[in-house]
Amino acid sequence: MQNALLIGLSRQMTLERQMDVVANNVANANTNGFKADHSLFEEFLNSNAREDNFIASDRKVSYVQDRGTFRDVGQGPMEPTNNPLDMAIDGNAFFAVQANGGERYTRDGKFSLNSTGQLVTSDGNLVLGTGGPITFQPTDHDINVAPDGTVTVLEGTARTDSIRGKIRMASFDDPAKLTKLGANLYDAGSAVIQADAKSVVRQGYIEKSNVNSVGEMSRMVEVMRSYTAIANLLQQQSDLHKSAIEKLADVPA
Amino acid sequence: MQALHTAATGMAAQELNVQVISNNIANLRTTGFKKQTAAFQDLIYEHVRRVGAQASDQGTILPVGVDVGGGVKTVGTPRSMTQGTLSQTGNDLDLAISGEGFFKILMPDGTYQYTRDGTFQMDNQGRVVTAQGNPVQPTITIPNNASGIAVSEQGQVSVTLPGSSTSSIIGQIGVTRFINKAGLQPVGSNLFTETPASGAPQDGTANSEGYGKLTQGSLEQANVDVVSEMSDLIAAQRAYEMNAKVISAADQMMQSTTALFR
Repeated sequence: MQNALLIGLSRQMTLERQMDVVANNVANANTNGFKADHSLFEEFLNSNAREDNFIASDRKVSYVQDRGTFRDVGQGPMEPTNNPLDMAIDGNAFFAVQANGGERYTRDGKFSLNSTGQLVTSDGNLVLGTGGPITFQPTDHDINVAPDGTVTVLEGTARTDSIRGKIRMASFDDPAKLTKLGANLYDAGSAVIQADAKSVVRQGYIEKSNVNSVGEMSRMVEVMRSYTAIANLLQQQSDLHKSAIEKLADVPA
Repeated sequence: MQALHTAATGMAAQELNVQVISNNIANLRTTGFKKQTAAFQDLIYEHVRRVGAQASDQGTILPVGVDVGGGVKTVGTPRSMTQGTLSQTGNDLDLAISGEGFFKILMPDGTYQYTRDGTFQMDNQGRVVTAQGNPVQPTITIPNNASGIAVSEQGQVSVTLPGSSTSSIIGQIGVTRFINKAGLQPVGSNLFTETPASGAPQDGTANSEGYGKLTQGSLEQANVDVVSEMSDLIAAQRAYEMNAKVISAADQMMQSTTALFR
């Protein structure tokens, strides 16, 4: 009799967590380079009677638990900004940045310069090129980033391009396995970093969040309805329980 | 329920986004104004099940983890320092910079501030000053009997004095660059001050070595694009509403639990 309560509880707990994941997606609907998360569930079978003394073996009780969150690594929409230091990656690669604690990866290409002319993220972390940080000279102008990531400038009165470095595009077998650290950064852990030949850098564009608002809203409604449906079920179960006790305890006159 | 707090961070972020957009729209007609965009980052994640953890004694590794994020934060409101369009005014002392650089202005307290707003006037001593009356650096004093003020692309100011058929150079308007101009701090009145992020000012001559050239009789308009601001505004408003919907959904879920077993 208590099983329905426990099963309902297991489902409600996972739904609550799914709601948290949806809320995080919605909150980051305007975060540059954000990748949406989705929840996965699995059945968790548990025998309610351990000792098989019954003639027919007891049926197993099927609980729910969340197995994981998987990341939608799909491309976010590209927004033109006309800002020469804004970059977006078209493809699966990530920008490599030097963050506190080591090399990290990001899809947020809202870059700027620091006071020493180095290319940095909004947090001031150095953006790494194939040969280390990319540094500009005070007299550099007309910054151009080629699709392969090569950064060229016109220096002073020079009429020919000078190369300032090449944006490093790090690629992974399964980018969904990178750990999110917050601050738009990913930790690769022990994943193998490969050079990416297919991805291209788009200068003057920013990759927006790939959160699909319509999908998130419908998922939210679905989660909310399932949750309240289970609450109703628990209520009915409880009412049943109550009336059973009342009936049984009713002393016949 | 985490979702309530997560959605609240989302609402706060969109509120700031709308603030930034409305400031851009308010400054649509401000000479030399540079628009800002709010940039956001995700907050740290709670790793409920850590990916790559050992799932069994046989050494099976969890292929995916359960990561629940805590919402969003504003990381900055970077300024887009792109060139604004030049509009002709015909005023001799209206100057616009096409390309890199700022006008250097001497403030009453002796410090320097920088601007892209070239709406200059003459004060009672004949000095070229901003609309607030602060002199442009280096100070240019125009003799009171001079006519035909001309400013070259390099910033050379020349006038024609009475009794002379040729013009004579009376000074040079300087242009100052910063390695990270987006790191300048706005102080209002179209002025910026130097910060540790902007780097030191580099005074130079207009139209040389990466410095922009001056155009006399023109002003630089704000680089705000109304259409994109309006669409950003709509997007921000809808994002705000969606976060509000998440709050009410989470609230309903909690309500259904608290109403249990009444």
